[in-house]
Amino acid sequence: MANITKKVSWSSRGDESGGGERTPLLNGSEELSGDGGMFHIGRLSTVDLEEDMTSDEVTFSFLSILDYDNSENQLFLEEERRMSFLGFKCLEISRWVICGLIGFLTGLIACCIDIAVENLAGVKYYVVKQNIEKFTEVGGLSISLILWAVLNSAFVMVGAVIVAFFEPGAAGSGIPQIKCYLNGVKIPRVVRLKTLVVKVCGVICSVAGGLAVGKEGPMIHSGAVVAAGVSQGRSTSLKKDFKIFEYFRRDTEKRDFVSAGAAAGVSAAFGAPVGGVLFSLEEGASFWNQMLTWRIFFASMISTFTLNFFLSIYNNKPGDLSSPGLINFGRFESDSVAYNLYEIPLFIVMGAAGGLLGALFNILNYWLTIFRIRYVHRPCLQVMEAMLVAPLGPDQSEDYPLQLFCADGEYNSMATAFFNTPERSVRSLFHNPPGSYNPLTLSLFTLTYFFLACWTYGLTVSAGVFIPSLLIGAAWGRLFGILLAAITPNGSVWAVPGKYALMGAAAQLGGIVRMTLSLTVIMVEATGNVTYGLPIMLVLLTAKIVGDYFVEGLYDIHIKLQSVPFLHLEAPATSHWLTAREVMGAPVTCFNRIEKVGTIVDVLSNTSTNHNGFPVVMPVAASDNLGKICGLILRSQLIVLLKHKVFVELARSRLTQRKLQLKDFRDAYPRFPPIQSIHVSQDERECMMDLTEFMNPTPYTVPQETSLPRVFKLFRALGLRHLVVVDSENRVVGLVTRKDLARYHLGKHGLEEMQLAQT
Amino acid sequence: MSFGRCFLKLPYFTNMFIVQVGALLIALTYYTNAQTSVVAVNTTIPGSEQSASGLRQLAVAVVPQSSVFHPSLRSQFSLNLLSAFPEDLEVSNYCVELLAIFGQRYSTYVNCLVSAARPVKVCQNCYGTYGNLMEIYKNISDQMGPGNVSCRDSLLRSDRLMLVFLLYSNLEDIWTASECNRCVSLRHYSLTNDTLYFMETLNQSLSCFEKYQKGNHSELCTECKATYRGLNELYSRMEKNHTLCIDIEDSMNMTRILWSKDFNCSFPRAETVPVIAVSSFMLFLPIIFYLSSFLHSEQKKRKLIHPKRAKSNPSFINIQDKFS
Repeated sequence: MANITKKVSWSSRGDESGGGERTPLLNGSEELSGDGGMFHIGRLSTVDLEEDMTSDEVTFSFLSILDYDNSENQLFLEEERRMSFLGFKCLEISRWVICGLIGFLTGLIACCIDIAVENLAGVKYYVVKQNIEKFTEVGGLSISLILWAVLNSAFVMVGAVIVAFFEPGAAGSGIPQIKCYLNGVKIPRVVRLKTLVVKVCGVICSVAGGLAVGKEGPMIHSGAVVAAGVSQGRSTSLKKDFKIFEYFRRDTEKRDFVSAGAAAGVSAAFGAPVGGVLFSLEEGASFWNQMLTWRIFFASMISTFTLNFFLSIYNNKPGDLSSPGLINFGRFESDSVAYNLYEIPLFIVMGAAGGLLGALFNILNYWLTIFRIRYVHRPCLQVMEAMLVAPLGPDQSEDYPLQLFCADGEYNSMATAFFNTPERSVRSLFHNPPGSYNPLTLSLFTLTYFFLACWTYGLTVSAGVFIPSLLIGAAWGRLFGILLAAITPNGSVWAVPGKYALMGAAAQLGGIVRMTLSLTVIMVEATGNVTYGLPIMLVLLTAKIVGDYFVEGLYDIHIKLQSVPFLHLEAPATSHWLTAREVMGAPVTCFNRIEKVGTIVDVLSNTSTNHNGFPVVMPVAASDNLGKICGLILRSQLIVLLKHKVFVELARSRLTQRKLQLKDFRDAYPRFPPIQSIHVSQDERECMMDLTEFMNPTPYTVPQETSLPRVFKLFRALGLRHLVVVDSENRVVGLVTRKDLARYHLGKHGLEEMQLAQT
Repeated sequence: MSFGRCFLKLPYFTNMFIVQVGALLIALTYYTNAQTSVVAVNTTIPGSEQSASGLRQLAVAVVPQSSVFHPSLRSQFSLNLLSAFPEDLEVSNYCVELLAIFGQRYSTYVNCLVSAARPVKVCQNCYGTYGNLMEIYKNISDQMGPGNVSCRDSLLRSDRLMLVFLLYSNLEDIWTASECNRCVSLRHYSLTNDTLYFMETLNQSLSCFEKYQKGNHSELCTECKATYRGLNELYSRMEKNHTLCIDIEDSMNMTRILWSKDFNCSFPRAETVPVIAVSSFMLFLPIIFYLSSFLHSEQKKRKLIHPKRAKSNPSFINIQDKFS
C-alpha cells in the first residue's frame, strides 16, 4: 500500500527516532542526531493539533485538499452538451448576483459586529466608571479593579467557551485558514455556518472583554464563510437546500467565491475595496483571471457600501456615507503632514525597526504557541488561559485612574490609552496634536502592549492581530517622532509625530504579517491619503526584508505549526536535481476499468491508507503489475457510485434504472459520507463496477524524470490534487500529491525534508 | 472676449474659507498688538501705502486685457490714490456708518476678550459685547437700510479679502470654540440659570477655602470637603447635560488644582497597597497557571506522516547510487 494522496500511515515514533524529523538532503550522510535548535524546531513543528476532535469522525476531519482541476468525465460532457447558450448566460449572471450577495451579507455582518462591540463595551465602561467615581473618594479602588477584571473575564470566558467547545476552527484571526483555503488546502470545517456564528460571537466577546485584539482579521474569515455558503445555495448545517446555484457546487467555483468573500471581508474591515481585491490576489494568486478580479472588486465595493450605509442609519445620519470601514484612521488633512524628501531615509530606518520588532513578536509568539500546543491543549485549560489573560489587559494600566495617581480633574494619559477601544487609541495616536503624549508614558505603553498583544494572539478566542500591531507601531512611531522633534533644532516644523505614528504602525504591521502590496493599498485607503503611498511602500518593503531575515511572517508560522501542506509561490531553490521519481509515492493503489466492488470497498475502508485519488489502469501484460494509465477516479466519486449501487450486474437486470447524473455528485458535495456508512452486502461485493463513465479520462501525467520545480509549477498553476507519474510506456509508477511537495523546505543547511504531522 | 454673464474676478474666493481658520487667528493677534503699540502701527503705514500704489499700477497694466471691467471706467483710472470712484460704486453713507459701528463694537469685544483671557471669563464677561457685535453684523448682512440699500454686497462681498466677513467669522470661531452658547442665552442677554447656580456653588467653595486658608490645611480639607464634593457632583452633572462652557471648565480646573495640589486634600494614598496587591495577584495567576499546566498536563505526542517512497529513503546515498 502506498501513500497515494494524503499520508496516513502515521507512526507515533516520536521520541526514539531523531533522524526521521529532518533529513538533510544535501549533507551527504544521514545525520541521525539533529543539531540543537534547528532540530528542535523541526520536531516541534510537527505537533498534532486535532487529535481529540478526530475521535468520532476518523477519516473526515483530516485536512482535505481542494480539487481545482475539473474532472472532464463523460457525465460532464453530457451535461455541457445539454446546456443551452442561455444557460451559460444565466450562470454568468448568477455569478454576479452571488458576488453582490456576498458583499451585502459581509457588510451586514461587519455592521452587526461593530454595533454589538460598541454597545457592550459602552456598557462595560459605564459600569466601571460609575463604580470608580463612587469609590475614588472613599477609597476601595481595588474593588473597582476586581469588578473590571471580573467583567473582562466574563466576556472573554463566553468568547473562549464557544470557541473551545463548539468550534475550535474559529480561533484566531482566521487569516491563516483562509490563506490555506485559497492555496488549496481545506482545514476541516473552516467554511461552515457554525464557524461563522461562533466567530462573530467570539470576536464580539473578546473585543468587548478588553483583550488586546482587533475585530478586523475575523472579518476576512467571516466574509469567506459567507461566500462559501451563499455560493452553494444551501446550508448543510441547517439542512436547507434552496435548489439554486447547483452548478457551483464544486471546488473550482467555490474557491473563486471564497476569494471574493475574503476580499469583501478586508474591504469591510478597513474600508479598502482595492486593498481587499489585492489581498485575494496576493494570497490566492495562483488561480486568477480578469473577469474574476472584476467580480471580486464588485463584491468588495458592495461590502464597504453596505457597511457604510447601515452604519449611517445606525448613527442617525442616513445617507451620510462617511464610515467605510470598521477602522477609520481619520483624515490627514493639514499641510504640515506632507513629507519631505529628506525624511525618506528616516522612514526606511523605521521600516527596519518595524521588521526587527515584528520578528521579535513572531519569535515570541512562536514559542508561546508551541507551549500552548503541547501543554494547553484541553478546551477547559484553553478557556482558563483566556480568562486569566483577560483582566491583565487593563491590569497593566491599572495604575490608572482618575484621581488615584492624579490630581482631581486631571487624567492619566497612560490610563486613557489603555482605557479605550484600540481603534480609538490608534486614531488619537495619529491625530492628537504634538505634545499630547508624554514620551515616558508612551514607551511604557508600547512595551506593555507589545507583550500583551504577543501573549494574546493564539489564545482560543477569535481575534485579529491587525489592530494591536497598528497600535504598537503607532505608539513607538509617535515616540520616534517626538524624540526626533526634540533632538533636531527647529525640528517641530516637519517632525509631526502623527506622521511618524502612521509610518510606525505600517512598519510594525508589515513586520508581523509580512504582507506587501495589499497592505500598502489597505493602509493608503484606510488613511485616505495617496501622498503617503511611497513612504508606506518603502516602510513595508524594508520591514519585510529585515523581518524575513530572521523569521517568517506570523501567519506562515501558524500555518506551519498546523502542518498544512502549503505550497508557496515557488519550489525551493536548488531543488532541480530532485525528480518526480524521488518525490512521488509508490507503489500506487490502482483500479481496473471494470473493478470488483469488494476490492473497492476494501481499499476505501482501509483506514491506514486514506487515499483520495486512484488511477484507473489497463493491465498491459498478465505478468506485469504496472498497468497503463487510462483515467483517474476520486474517492468521493467512488463513494457516490457505491451509494447509488451503480453495478454492472444491476444495470443489466434493471434496464429502466435511472442513469446517474452529475447532479448526484453535486448533491453529495462537499460532505461526502464516509465509507463506513455505506452498506454493501456480501452478494454485492461480488458485483463489478464500470468506472469508465465516471473517471477523469485525461488526468495530468508527468514522466519520472520531471524535476521538482516543474511538478511544483503544475500543482501551483493548475491547482492539481494528484499528478500521476508514468514511465515511458505510460504505465503508472507513482503518484505525486501536495503533501509530497510541501515537505521540502530550503533550510539553513540546504534543502531539508520536513515530516508533516497528521492532522 | 466675454461670453455670458460677467463676474468680478475673485480667484481666491473658495480658498479663502480654508485659509480663514489659521489666518484669522493671526489677524486677531495683529489687531490686539495694534491696540497696544501705536508706534508699530505708525511705522507700517508708509510701507503699506507704497505697496498699495504698486498694486494700482499693476492693475492698470492688467486692465486692458480684462474685459470684466467696464470700458468707460478706464479713463477714470489715475495714479492718484486720493481720487474717488464714481457715485454708483461708492459705498453709501449708511453703510459707512454701519461699518464704523461695527469697528467700534469689534474693538470693544476684543478688548473684553483679552482682558478675560486668564482666568477664563470670556463667556460671562463678554456675552453682552458679543451680542452687540452680532447684532450689527446681522444689520450689515441681512437688513435693508433706508432707500433699500443693502450693505451686504458692498461691505461683505466686493473684494477678494472680504475683510469684514473675515474679522467677524474669526470671532465667531472663538465664540464657538469656547462653547459659550451653553452658558449664555443670547436671546435674553443673560447667563443661564445653570451657570448662575454653578457660580454660586463655586463661590461657596472658594469662600470656604479663603476662610480656612490661613491655618492648617488639614482643617480646610475636612471643613470644605462637603461643599467641594457638592461642586464636583454638580460639575459632573452639568458635564452629562452638556451645559459646560469654557468659563466653568476653567474655574473647575483651577478649583481642583487648588484642592489637590495647593491644599493637598486629595484622599489619602493608603489604598495604594490593596490595589497593588490585587494587581500583582492577577499577574501571578497566569504564571501559576502556566507552571501547573507545564508540570501536570501531559505533553501531546505528535504523529508523523511517514512517506512511502518507491525506493526506501531518498537519502543522498541512494541518489548517488542511482546516478552512478
